[in-house]
Amino acid sequence: MAATLEEPRQQTAPRFGPLLGRFALAGLAGGAASGIWAMVVTERTITPALALEEARTAASHEHSEELFSRHTQLLGGFLGTVIAAVVFSVVVAAVFAGVRHRLPGRSDVGRVAVLAAIGFAVFALLPAIKIPANPPAVGDPDTIDTRTAIYIAVLGAGVVTALLVGALVGTLRSRGLHPSAVATAAVLATVALVTAMVLLVPDSPDSISADVPAAVVWDFRLASLGQLAVLWTTLGLTAGYLVDKLARRA
Amino acid sequence: MTSAQHSPTRTAVPRIAVPAWAWALALLALFALYLVAQDNGAVLASAGDVAHEFFHDARHSLGMPCH
Repeated sequence: MAATLEEPRQQTAPRFGPLLGRFALAGLAGGAASGIWAMVVTERTITPALALEEARTAASHEHSEELFSRHTQLLGGFLGTVIAAVVFSVVVAAVFAGVRHRLPGRSDVGRVAVLAAIGFAVFALLPAIKIPANPPAVGDPDTIDTRTAIYIAVLGAGVVTALLVGALVGTLRSRGLHPSAVATAAVLATVALVTAMVLLVPDSPDSISADVPAAVVWDFRLASLGQLAVLWTTLGLTAGYLVDKLARRA
Repeated sequence: MTSAQHSPTRTAVPRIAVPAWAWALALLALFALYLVAQDNGAVLASAGDVAHEFFHDARHSLGMPCH
């Protein structure tokens, strides 16, 4: 029992029910912050893309009936972001509870931050490298199934990478390697696995048509990445704060 | 930094008992997200179109593939 003397605050583990509640609350906070970003920042980069779509429709004399007004779609964008963030938080809660005793970090703030950073890397950074977000007016409807398969393959590869690197870190630490050596090995393994993913998973079949200015696509991709960064940062920091308080009370 | 040489016992953090329903709930949540984000009529039929249009912005801005 000598080990627990160094960290007297974390002698007992919090129960899962209250933990899930804290994460869900953090998911709501992350979704709200990210949803506000969507309406204030991302929306500005969608507007030029929608103007392009309208110009195309007008040029081809087709009638496109819009199911929802732009305002309703903005509300849907906000709600969809909140739902996604809460879903992420529920999944992260289960994963956190499963691996908390193996995560690095002296407090739960640090441990949750590590997990949120992995979540951002897997669900935002990796897709941004391999199959980046596109504004409306860019995607080819005929390739949606292929692009969805690529997207899911990238997420799957990210999850596998996180599991393999986590297992590697656990093995090296249990053999008493110096933390800096473990960190170097983890970075090298991550670079190797991500490189393999980029090379092995096929590229998006879409090409961006000539009438779409590069700035429209670039601005949207940056806004989208920022939106996901706001989501994961808010989720991670809020959950870390709440779970830390819960664990100290337990 | 004499404490840098970690032994596994030093960072002994107690395990949290994760009930089976936690994983079931996580899967259910992911399926709900699929319905919101990705389903283009495969499960929800015509209601999928409505969901698709309503959540259109979220799908694009969260980086999910869309037409």
